[in-house]
Amino acid sequence: MNGGWRAWLRLFAVQGTWNYERMLGVGMGYAAEPLLEDLKTVDPVRHTEAVVRSAEFFNCNPNLAGLALGATARAEYDAVPGAQIARLRTALCSPLGALGDQLFWAGLVPLLVGAALIGVALGAAWWALPAFLVVYNLARVATGVWALRTGLDAGMAVGNAIATSWMSRAIERVGPAAGFSIGAAIPLVSAWYLEAIGWPAALGAIAVALTGVAVTRWFGASLTTVRFTLLALVLLVLFRWVLP
Amino acid sequence: MTDLAPSGALLLVIWGTLVGLDLVSVPQVMIARPVVAGAVAGWLAGDLEAGLRVGVLFELFALDVLPVGAVRYPDYGPATVAGTALAADSPWQFALGLSTAVGLVIAVLGGFGLQWVRRANARAIQRHSAALAAGEGGAIRRLQYGSLLRDAGRAAGLTVLGLVCAWVLAEPLARLDRSTALGLTLVAMGCGLSAVISGALRSAGRGGRLRWLGTGALVGLIVAALR
Repeated sequence: MNGGWRAWLRLFAVQGTWNYERMLGVGMGYAAEPLLEDLKTVDPVRHTEAVVRSAEFFNCNPNLAGLALGATARAEYDAVPGAQIARLRTALCSPLGALGDQLFWAGLVPLLVGAALIGVALGAAWWALPAFLVVYNLARVATGVWALRTGLDAGMAVGNAIATSWMSRAIERVGPAAGFSIGAAIPLVSAWYLEAIGWPAALGAIAVALTGVAVTRWFGASLTTVRFTLLALVLLVLFRWVLP
Repeated sequence: MTDLAPSGALLLVIWGTLVGLDLVSVPQVMIARPVVAGAVAGWLAGDLEAGLRVGVLFELFALDVLPVGAVRYPDYGPATVAGTALAADSPWQFALGLSTAVGLVIAVLGGFGLQWVRRANARAIQRHSAALAAGEGGAIRRLQYGSLLRDAGRAAGLTVLGLVCAWVLAEPLARLDRSTALGLTLVAMGCGLSAVISGALRSAGRGGRLRWLGTGALVGLIVAALR
């Protein structure tokens, strides 16, 4: 099976056709195309069926989509019945979504963003921001290559490969590290802003922050922080207009 | 707002388009993070300090968002570019409040734009359903490139709208009295801090991560006090 690198590159745009019907489905079909090319000469009918299956409904974290892509492509070459491959795709949606979201969106991204914010607040923006981009993308590229290779090697046994992989251990470690990083960033960023304004005025900003936390937690989804902010800004302008 | 030359404005539109695309469609290399988008926009606008101040503040708002599954969220990338353009060449202490207001409106509009793109993608797929059912690889490629183009158009339109708002509001910002401008900045900063604290508490839950969040906050406080 050829086309692995082209498929890996196409995975960078796996969310390109994101929609509420097939979600990542068409993006997966786009990424699968190079992998399935050789099947066209071996079994053209099977190739057509495989292309149809590759673009059907699918959803997961984009950074782990390679696991499902590789596993289903391998299964197509192994002549696994189509219904079984469709079931594998469906079964992989939730675990790959949950693992990827915990590893990246709730773990690595806040960890590295927090570190970058600390760097900016300490006056090191020139290295902190490039370092954030480099470290994140190295981790993401390495994960993407591993995911596609593991999927291609494991085929229908990809579930076992995921269960015995490094991911759950990494999630256990990255979550607390992200908490620490964001926790450290909050006072440093606050000081970075507030020291330039003066501490008496800063008390007002801290009061707004505490009110925002309390009010948005009380009202839940009906009062997001964005709505609270716009409301507070409008109220301040009105207040200044009434009492100039 | 800095007196941008057409070439400078064009660079900001290109940068806003790239960061808008990076949020979801391609390549998700994290240039859409406001702290990165703002720093580069500030550099392009000739005021890196403004870019960092606006970018970090929008990053605090962005950390309140967990972009998982089909969740709806604001698009902070082009919003940060627009906010930076408005704040550039002004003292950030007086420009940050109005920049935040403009940026948040653009970010919310960007979120609606994302919904529009997703529905348009679904309609395009329905139009090509026969070709998809026949396994035509060409149809998949056309859908993919069409969707990317649609999202690029959304991001570019959003950035242009943001820059027009910044251009229109530059004059009122210059005339705004200092105490109101500073008040808006303090409110914006307070709200940004409330967003990041709310997001951090929600992500931490009640387990070990909450303890690490508290430990980090303590270490951050000590370092901030020692500086």
